[in-house]
Amino acid sequence: MSTNLESRSPATDGTPAPRKILPSLVTGQEGVLIGIIAVLWILLGLLTPAFLTSGSILPLLVAVAPIALIGVGMTFIIITAGIDVSVAAAIMVTAVITSQTMVATGIPLIPAVLLSIGVGALLGLVNGLLVAYGKIHAIIITFGTANVFQFIGLRFFGSSTVNGLPDTFDVFGRGEAGRTLGIPHSFAITLLVVAVAWWYLRHAASGRHLFAIGGNENAARLAGIKVKPLVLMTYVITGALVGLAACFFIGQGTSTLEQSVGAGRELLVIAAVVIGGTSILGGRGTVFGTLLGAILVQTVTSGVTQLGWPSQLSDLFVGVAIIAAVGTDILRERSRRKS
Amino acid sequence: MSEQSTTPRIAMRGISKNYGGVRAIRQAELTVQPGTVHALVGENGAGKSTLIKILAGAEQPDTGTIEFDGKAVSITSTTDAIKLGVQTVYQEPQLFPELSITENIFIGREIKRGPRVDWAAQAAQIHELLDMIGLPHKLATAPVGDLSIAQQQQVSIAKAVAGEASILILDEPSAILTDTEISVLFSIVRRLTERGVAVIYITHRLDELFEIADTVTVMRDGETLDTYAIQDLTVTKIAELMVGGIVTEKREVRSFDDVVPTLELHNVDVGQLLRGIDLQIRPGEILGLYGLLGSGVAEIAEAVYGMKQPTGGHMLYQGKRMVNKGPAAARRRGITLVPANRSAQGVFSFQSIRFNISIGDLAKLSPLKGWINRRREREIALDLIKRLGVKTPNENQPISAMSGGNAQKVVIARQLLSTPKLLILAEPTQGVDVGAKEEIHRLIGHLAESGTAVLVVTTDLAEVLRISDRVLVVREGKIAAEFGTDATQVDILAAASGAISTRNES
Amino acid sequence: MTTTALKNNEVGHRQENLGYRAVRMLLTQRIALLGLLIVVVLAIMTSLDFAGALSGSYDADYLAAALISAVPLAMLGLAQLMVILSGRGGIDLSVGAMVSLCGIVFGYSYGIWDLGLFPAILITAVAGVLCGALNGFLVAYMGFPPLIATLATFYALKSLALIVSGQKPISTLQIQDFFSAAQSVEIPVIGHSLPDVPLGIFTFLIPTALLAWVLLNRTTFGRRLYALGTNDVAAIWAGVDTRANRMLAYVLSGLISGLVAIVIVAQFASARPDAGVSGNGLALPAITIAVLGGVAITGGIGRVSGILLATLLIVWLNAGILLAFAGNEGTQLQLLALGLLLIGASLLNNVTRKKFGVLH
Repeated sequence: MSTNLESRSPATDGTPAPRKILPSLVTGQEGVLIGIIAVLWILLGLLTPAFLTSGSILPLLVAVAPIALIGVGMTFIIITAGIDVSVAAAIMVTAVITSQTMVATGIPLIPAVLLSIGVGALLGLVNGLLVAYGKIHAIIITFGTANVFQFIGLRFFGSSTVNGLPDTFDVFGRGEAGRTLGIPHSFAITLLVVAVAWWYLRHAASGRHLFAIGGNENAARLAGIKVKPLVLMTYVITGALVGLAACFFIGQGTSTLEQSVGAGRELLVIAAVVIGGTSILGGRGTVFGTLLGAILVQTVTSGVTQLGWPSQLSDLFVGVAIIAAVGTDILRERSRRKS
Repeated sequence: MSEQSTTPRIAMRGISKNYGGVRAIRQAELTVQPGTVHALVGENGAGKSTLIKILAGAEQPDTGTIEFDGKAVSITSTTDAIKLGVQTVYQEPQLFPELSITENIFIGREIKRGPRVDWAAQAAQIHELLDMIGLPHKLATAPVGDLSIAQQQQVSIAKAVAGEASILILDEPSAILTDTEISVLFSIVRRLTERGVAVIYITHRLDELFEIADTVTVMRDGETLDTYAIQDLTVTKIAELMVGGIVTEKREVRSFDDVVPTLELHNVDVGQLLRGIDLQIRPGEILGLYGLLGSGVAEIAEAVYGMKQPTGGHMLYQGKRMVNKGPAAARRRGITLVPANRSAQGVFSFQSIRFNISIGDLAKLSPLKGWINRRREREIALDLIKRLGVKTPNENQPISAMSGGNAQKVVIARQLLSTPKLLILAEPTQGVDVGAKEEIHRLIGHLAESGTAVLVVTTDLAEVLRISDRVLVVREGKIAAEFGTDATQVDILAAASGAISTRNES
Repeated sequence: MTTTALKNNEVGHRQENLGYRAVRMLLTQRIALLGLLIVVVLAIMTSLDFAGALSGSYDADYLAAALISAVPLAMLGLAQLMVILSGRGGIDLSVGAMVSLCGIVFGYSYGIWDLGLFPAILITAVAGVLCGALNGFLVAYMGFPPLIATLATFYALKSLALIVSGQKPISTLQIQDFFSAAQSVEIPVIGHSLPDVPLGIFTFLIPTALLAWVLLNRTTFGRRLYALGTNDVAAIWAGVDTRANRMLAYVLSGLISGLVAIVIVAQFASARPDAGVSGNGLALPAITIAVLGGVAITGGIGRVSGILLATLLIVWLNAGILLAFAGNEGTQLQLLALGLLLIGASLLNNVTRKKFGVLH
């Protein structure tokens, strides 16, 4: 049938229905998260007057930046029904290579960032090739590469820390150099990346294909979608974002890079992604939700400290937040499927 | 037909296809005119799906020619078929639940501006498609996962016709739909034919052909019998053509009246699927339940076995009220079931035959509760393997290495660990070779003779007549008719497809 | 099962050359492959030892002593075996956090409240069971994806361990004396001619492994677990209570984690609140052991013997690497070996599935 036939439906002619041609801008989960974050910020503002000041909010945003940034890539991966548990080790590798190069050669900002991104993308390529073409479950592969990356990272460290880091990455740091007009650079860059990724997932054909792959990989292949290259791409993008995030981690630290850089971040990133409403089973998710998830996690962490509670309590709240967020999501899905 | 003189949209002539020496279809002929609905009917295994697969490019014929709009064409791949405008809508929708209707329809061939999807251009086209399939415009952006099964099927049709369909193949589209949903489907089909699309419509529900079809081609045993104008046919006539001159061997009439029924259903409802079902079955009796896909026949078995809970009425088991909260409760009472879908519901694929048998009643494997006595397990498994004639070198072979017939025997063996009082078999011989089919039928007979009440749920006409003492035909959630051993295939098929109408108006 | 395997079965004893049969056995029988790898590792390390390339001697005493690290590793590998077997993405990321929390519970009940050893062990085990039950409830009854449920409890329990303990390790005198439980002992009767073996092997690992083996191979629970991991839908149709049995798998994982907590307290002579989560934590090595041991991440396939052999392989390989490479380099190379083994094993699983059907 050709589509240039005249429309015979009376419905289109008379009613001036709003031409809604896109899904709604904010998903249910994002709405809930915005609400929760707002309530938390107001409560914390009331309980500790220092919370709603720039001295408290800005470091919070700086801390959010690398998690949300890697979270963007992780969202891509999880939408395709994959996962990457090697990002913590990848952070270490990119951070140590970049910082040692800076110490040794004193390369300026842009080449240093590009180097870090390049190394990260290369690590992502390894993951992507094995996952997309090796036909092995992503969690197994990335557990394996996590060990290998750790080895590589520790080899570069040798037996010590990297000392005497130049102040090149202070532009991503907490200090005055890390801000323009009061806005932390790292957070601004993260917002930009989130915006681009949001646009890509929402409007680009290949971005939409990621959802199709996660929803029904076989049907996606039958529909002519190039599954393997797209899956590969998600891991390379994640690797590149890990590289950029590593620069943030270096900039936020002291002039010494510890071997523990990045440790435990893989789980924190995954936590931010699932709190943000991305389904671990694939096919559904948003990067905006991931940003909100990262902000929620960091709000809990900062809030607990500012309230003078033991800082270890924050992990308890992170756990509860995951259960609450995913639990409501499961219930919402159930009622949706029933109706 | 008045337009018999026009050039046919498609003409398949002398098509034959063998699968490894087994004849699937022979010298099949199919000629479809543009702008008509051409029904293809026949029993399971008559060759309908093979013929359709050849047209869709999924299979290559051994002999025969295909003409498209009067020109000879060769269809060697699905891409070839799609280029000609052959689109198929299968029963299982191949859709992406989280993507919108619009996106599902355009997936893989989006209208783009640069890398960006041109939503406005797609929306402009989608509204027309939505009008055609009768869905409101506001659903254009709804995720497909939120739609009903019927609506998802409408989306599948829209997806097919958006790809410039000249021939639309609908494979049993009405099986899973309710009456109102079917009338929506028919209006869509009519709108398509008005636009010149040739529709090939496969169905088992013969009554609906009189509402939608223009011509009917009947297939039997791999051959196309003939093509008829719908005006020249009745449901009974079609049923006769489908089953042919097969004479059913008369079974002896056995009487079971003097014993307490093993199972009685009184006015049982299951949601909207079953309404007011009454039936009873006595020890030693083989009761056949025949119904088309979507008739509710499967739900009767599921309700008895505790997979679904009745929403009305009650069940008596050996004269006492029975509520089965789940299959485990049913099995403790001595009710076992062979599920219909062997690979999804029946086999534990990479586990051994022994494992696949003993999982049916683990308590039997040792006097000590919760324990497994391997020797006892082995003995029980070997005994059943022998009794059922399972062909295997030993009991440790994985079930996935076996043929369909042998695997099915293993799944049946699982239900016989303790002799069941009521055995339910759903499609007991689907995907099973002739020899094993024979053996399974004999086994069912032996079980009944030893006093087990047997409930056979099947869509195989010959089977239901051959083994049952009584046949109940289920249609639209109700028992439509009851037959004894003197019934013919035509009677049953006609009752199941609506010749004997149980409803007043539709 | 592929058709190749089907043909092999049906043709039966067709003539195959010995090499082909050996390759097939190594690929389809994970036990055989692991056994061969252990022999290879032992042979290479022993010859390096003779060549004088090692910093210490790679002998029976050294290998026996190295087994101390096998105890927690193998036990947690068994915990992962239980949950991964249950299928539907079964996995337990929270084992490390459970170990931390249960260690603190043990520290309190044995070291501070002084309830005596057996009551303390019992209380710790109950704590492990409760943690596992939380995971099991979320996964089996609430429908959480296992990865998410155990990620959440990982965070929550890790935090609880630190808070309950006030971030301070418990190392009272009783706990310090408990170190003796981790010492090496001579095996009775035949032991004088054999090297001394860490006590934990006998008191914890062997009983746990035996119990796990019995559960999986001799009880109806084991059957049901394999059944629901192989085909959840078919298990329901066969009358298996999939939810209760799946929950039990997570409960067992919690119980084993509780026992591991006691082992680790003994090894460090101290109940540390971060015992299970410091560094890479305990979950990652445990999952690695399970996959290396032939457990299919999709459920329904896996054996106790695979876990034990994979642990031996890793532990003795690591011990050898430490002797071959001094200091940091050794520990780093252990990571590389672990990662490569894991990737190699899973790639091999794929080849096997393609060529011979299913892995045993």
